[in-house]
Amino acid sequence: MSRREEESLKGYKQWAAVMMSLLLAAAVSACGNQGTESAYPSKQVEYIVPYSAGGGVDLVARAAADYLSKEWGQPIVVVNKAGGGGAVGAEYALKQAKNDGYTALAVNVSNTTMLAAGMKTPPITNEDQVYTTRIGKGTLAFAVKADAPWKDFAEFSTWVRANPEQLTWTSVGPAGFSAFGIAEWLDAIGADFAKTRMIVTKGASDSVPKVAGGHAILAVHTVGEIMPMLQAGKVKILAVSGDTRSQFLPDIPTAEEQGIQGLSVFWWTGVSFAKGTPESVIRKWEEAIAKMEKDPAFLQKLSEIQVEPAYAASEAFTKETQAETTYYLELATKKGIRK
Amino acid sequence: MLIIETFQLLLAGFASALTPEHLLMAALGALIGTFVGVLPGLGPTSAIAILLPVTAVLEPTQGMIMLAGIYYGAMYGGSTTAILLNIPGELSSVPTCLDGYPLAKKGRGGPALGISALASFGAGVLGVIGLVFFAPILADQALKFGPPEYFALMILALTLMVSLSGGSLVKSFLMGAFGYSLALVGLGPSSGMPRFDYGVPALVGGFDMISIIIGLFAITEVLKGIDEKRTATLIGKPGSVYPKKEDLRVSAGPMLRGGIIGFFLGLLPGCSAAITSFLAYDMEKKLSKHPEKFGQGTIEGVAAPEAANNATSSAGFIPLFSLGIPSSPPLAILLAGLMIYGLTPGPVLFEQNAGFVWTVIASMFVGNAMLLVLNLPMVWVWVKLTRVPYGIMAPIILMFCTIGAYSVRNSMFDVWVAFLFGGLGYVFSKYKWPVVPLVLCFILGPLLEESFIQTMAMGSGDLSIVLFRPLSLTILLAAGALLIISMMLNRRTQQRLKEERDRGVDVA
Repeated sequence: MSRREEESLKGYKQWAAVMMSLLLAAAVSACGNQGTESAYPSKQVEYIVPYSAGGGVDLVARAAADYLSKEWGQPIVVVNKAGGGGAVGAEYALKQAKNDGYTALAVNVSNTTMLAAGMKTPPITNEDQVYTTRIGKGTLAFAVKADAPWKDFAEFSTWVRANPEQLTWTSVGPAGFSAFGIAEWLDAIGADFAKTRMIVTKGASDSVPKVAGGHAILAVHTVGEIMPMLQAGKVKILAVSGDTRSQFLPDIPTAEEQGIQGLSVFWWTGVSFAKGTPESVIRKWEEAIAKMEKDPAFLQKLSEIQVEPAYAASEAFTKETQAETTYYLELATKKGIRK
Repeated sequence: MLIIETFQLLLAGFASALTPEHLLMAALGALIGTFVGVLPGLGPTSAIAILLPVTAVLEPTQGMIMLAGIYYGAMYGGSTTAILLNIPGELSSVPTCLDGYPLAKKGRGGPALGISALASFGAGVLGVIGLVFFAPILADQALKFGPPEYFALMILALTLMVSLSGGSLVKSFLMGAFGYSLALVGLGPSSGMPRFDYGVPALVGGFDMISIIIGLFAITEVLKGIDEKRTATLIGKPGSVYPKKEDLRVSAGPMLRGGIIGFFLGLLPGCSAAITSFLAYDMEKKLSKHPEKFGQGTIEGVAAPEAANNATSSAGFIPLFSLGIPSSPPLAILLAGLMIYGLTPGPVLFEQNAGFVWTVIASMFVGNAMLLVLNLPMVWVWVKLTRVPYGIMAPIILMFCTIGAYSVRNSMFDVWVAFLFGGLGYVFSKYKWPVVPLVLCFILGPLLEESFIQTMAMGSGDLSIVLFRPLSLTILLAAGALLIISMMLNRRTQQRLKEERDRGVDVA
């Protein structure tokens, strides 16, 4: 063997040794990942919020990310990808990102069941995702200008039934929860939805002031979203939906107490993953969030943003959203919201 | 009563602005802004455009404090290059060149810089005082602004924009239309339906504001810089930056007058700092006992336009915050910054985000004070920086642009958009097509559309409701009046710019 050949062989041996050790390392780490389920999460998790920072979904997601980061010792990073009423971020998390459990979606009623019901060809559907856990919910409140002539919701409803063409109302989007909340209420009192006028706004921060300033008559939002203008004395709340009073507004009667039955639309937020995400990941999130919703510090945070804890594990969560979709689809078709 | 309340809000703003982390943000903003501002040719507009994505990752208050710092820092940096190198970073610095550069040639660049910093500081104080008096009046009207009023406001903003960008009205209008058509891509603000996406998934989310701004104002500047092979040559030593008693005595009057003119005209939506600094300069020349010395290096000739320039910029925050109307290109980009933080400027901003607004206002004061404390002793450092070869600066700026465009939505699409608009911006500037109408129509177009649809819903499909509401009618009439005034003032400024170009001032 010539010296040159010897040297090149030595070089090859070194190269082979490095490659073998790399392969070995890769194999070991791969086994490690598959062998022990508790290894998840082994790196940073992206938590996609499909709205801009500061809204209800965002605040809940940030509180959860904070808790889970500490719980798991890995950073859970909230990434805001706003646009299209929540469709842009959801499409990214459920369709563009890998379904390896490292991209979670802060899912919300407006970009799931309502989107599916409100659009004929929604960019994302229930089938694209694994509903993992619901975290919180919010009651809808019916707000009018502080000095509006109606003293209660029953009287207001009577006026609307007689004068539907005079009712202007603000919404968070063409197929968001305001639209569904109002469609359901008008259906309940027998008023003509098609004659009323919807003013589409960017969200609560734009919608509630329009009612406070007298430019529209009614705004339907979560309690937390109306709270600042209520405290400033610019609006009054005539009723909340649901079968019990809101824990944040114990003095405001429900619609049911005022004789209007069947208002079931509510706001909720939770976590979902792309279809095909490992079962172990789903279980891990379910367990951690179940524990989180017993944590007094987390509950305190929810209370500060006027969101009620509403834990539901994957199976129950999925069932409820399916039932909700069927109901909203029927409502949207009947009222001509579906486009 | 209202003023006392506002004063309390301002004090709370100061308490927040003076916390260590907010002080740090203001200082960082002022320093970085000055740094970008002294780079030859890069003015406040490109400084803010380059650094906008950096601040976008911060929490809103910190981000806006930093942006305001960058704005003031870059304005100050622009004065430095105007005086020492005869390079105005922005049109509004042109009058500063007229006497500042001759002063620098005489070895009196230092006092000129000192006076310019003092004038800026004084004008900043004036701006804050003005905001304290004006803001409550506007905030009180906040809830009276409904869709028809916003619609009228948008008409006002867009009219002024087209008339103010200088040059040909037809070109401005076409650029505005182009900007608006870009804004149409993506999900409709009212329908929520995708449109003009041509089946391309990346287009469903629409174009990102930051990537377009980075392209048009930062990448274009770099391309122009490479094209012009920018080099800075310094004439003489600037001397001590601390003005003499005599300098202060002669410039006190011009500073005060310039500041007042600048402030009050700056309140008119759409009145830019270029207009007021020329007015202040020309007025001092008329009032002076020795008008023949203007242009040969008089300290008054620096004090008046600098004070006017900065007072207009501070006053510009009033129409910006309260009506959402930016009066100058850098404020147009600050408007984009506000929208990125989810804060739509308008009468409601003072009502709903009082804490935020007053913290930012207080931080402007802090930022101006910091410029005075930090920059005067450091003037030599800045001067040396202007000598960094462009071949080194250009790639660094481009790197920032790329990271910035990518980081907003974590998408490569936005990076390509930024570079595409960088190239387009270069072509536009070469053939003198104004880009400000494009950006403003892109930013305000969706708001115009939204308020139009809302107004139509309110009026059951009848737009004439805009004419029958006192407030919206007043705004429309004001739009007409302001259009005439601003066209007159603008014609005057263009004439002055032309004169100075003919005399050999390097006007961008």
